[in-house]
Amino acid sequence: MADTTLTVSEITRLIKKDLEENFSSLSIVGEISNFKAHSSGHWYFTLKDSDAQISCTMWRGVNNYVFFSPQDGMKVIIIGRITVYPPRGNYQIEVRAMQPAGVGELQLAFEKLKEKLQREGLFDLENKKELPELPMKIGIVTSIGGAALKDMISVAKRRFPLVEISIASCAVQGIGAAESIAEAIHLLNKQNDVEVIVVARGGGSLEDLWAFNEEIVAYAIYKSKIPVVTGIGHEIDFTIADFVADYRAATPTAAMEILTPEKEEIENLIRNFDDELTEKMYDKIAGIKEQISSALHSYGFRSPFDMLKLYNQKVDSAVYRVNQTIDKYLTIQKNKIALLASKLSANDVQKTLAKGFVLVKQQDKFVPRAKNFQSAQPHTLIFYDDRIEIKKNYEEKN
Amino acid sequence: MKKKTNQSSFKNDLQRLEEISILLDSSELDLEEAISLYEEGIQLSKKCLETLTTAELKVNELKAKIDFKNDDDSLN
Repeated sequence: MADTTLTVSEITRLIKKDLEENFSSLSIVGEISNFKAHSSGHWYFTLKDSDAQISCTMWRGVNNYVFFSPQDGMKVIIIGRITVYPPRGNYQIEVRAMQPAGVGELQLAFEKLKEKLQREGLFDLENKKELPELPMKIGIVTSIGGAALKDMISVAKRRFPLVEISIASCAVQGIGAAESIAEAIHLLNKQNDVEVIVVARGGGSLEDLWAFNEEIVAYAIYKSKIPVVTGIGHEIDFTIADFVADYRAATPTAAMEILTPEKEEIENLIRNFDDELTEKMYDKIAGIKEQISSALHSYGFRSPFDMLKLYNQKVDSAVYRVNQTIDKYLTIQKNKIALLASKLSANDVQKTLAKGFVLVKQQDKFVPRAKNFQSAQPHTLIFYDDRIEIKKNYEEKN
Repeated sequence: MKKKTNQSSFKNDLQRLEEISILLDSSELDLEEAISLYEEGIQLSKKCLETLTTAELKVNELKAKIDFKNDDDSLN
């Protein structure tokens, strides 16, 4: 029997002191149940195993450092201390840190969230937006210093440098990464000319890629008015973001390749248009020619011949114009070259003349040798500055 | 600035090329119209090719605004 009688407050104080002193640093493994993220930012949940359970709290600010969103049924290891709350006479664990008890736990959380979002219709095919055929402005959500960004930029540069890239930089792993990714998607949605968004990250472990498995990212992608392409990790990595995205590319590079045409490809396309137009034009003219000739030969139809002739002429001139358009460029270049060549050679002679040499011309031909000079004939002396025509007999004058 | 106009017109030019190609198939088109379309098409393709060969990749970074977080990041 007890010697002293204690008040409730006294015994509670003793319990509080005992528990809080003896269990000030604990590491406990257990399964989460009744998880509640309160609007105040604090988390409340129960940690349990098959035979026991204990209440837990994790304060706002501290829980920012948990890289995943805890879910009921998830096995975690928490670090914290016991606190006693006298007004209610209960004890709880104030959690300081939380980790999944194993990679399997993350996998499980992944499956659960996937199932939930699937039920909510986030993966439905009818919600998938079509990707623009030839986007001129691509938004990228990734880390500004990451290798993924470098790779994507070099792909764009090589394939289709006409495209413009807007980067909304974000953290892609660790604390607050999921929120940061969601914000970046949101920010790009506020730009009016971004045609498609790439959400990208280079390869990493399941933990590294975890931010892309968070609900907040899934919803940001789902709500995006602009189509979203994901390129996260490697070929084998599938994230929740991939399932929600309008298109999942295996890697960041692959995402960029899907959105940009090969430069050569588009050049060929343009050249094909050229050929196609020319062909169609010829067809058109051939068709009209045929029309005219069949009209000419038709028994019943006799239109004034002059009119037909006029039309025929029109066709001919059209053919001429078509050919001209095609040849114009070449001709202009040729003329330019010819002009340049003649200028060059003229210059050459002018230089020689300037030095004091004189050219002799007779009967429209230069006379380069004395033996060819016909002294009885009129001739022309060409100086640098002028020419003198000598018409009279040369010998008589002297 | 110049790049911007190049960019936005490039796509329009491509679309116009496609349009011209379809228009040239029309039997209602008279010869004069066909020729002027053809000439326009050839000009456009030349322009597009030139734009493509002189293009340089433009990259910019967006900065988040401070009021951003209050918008609508509802979790549930």
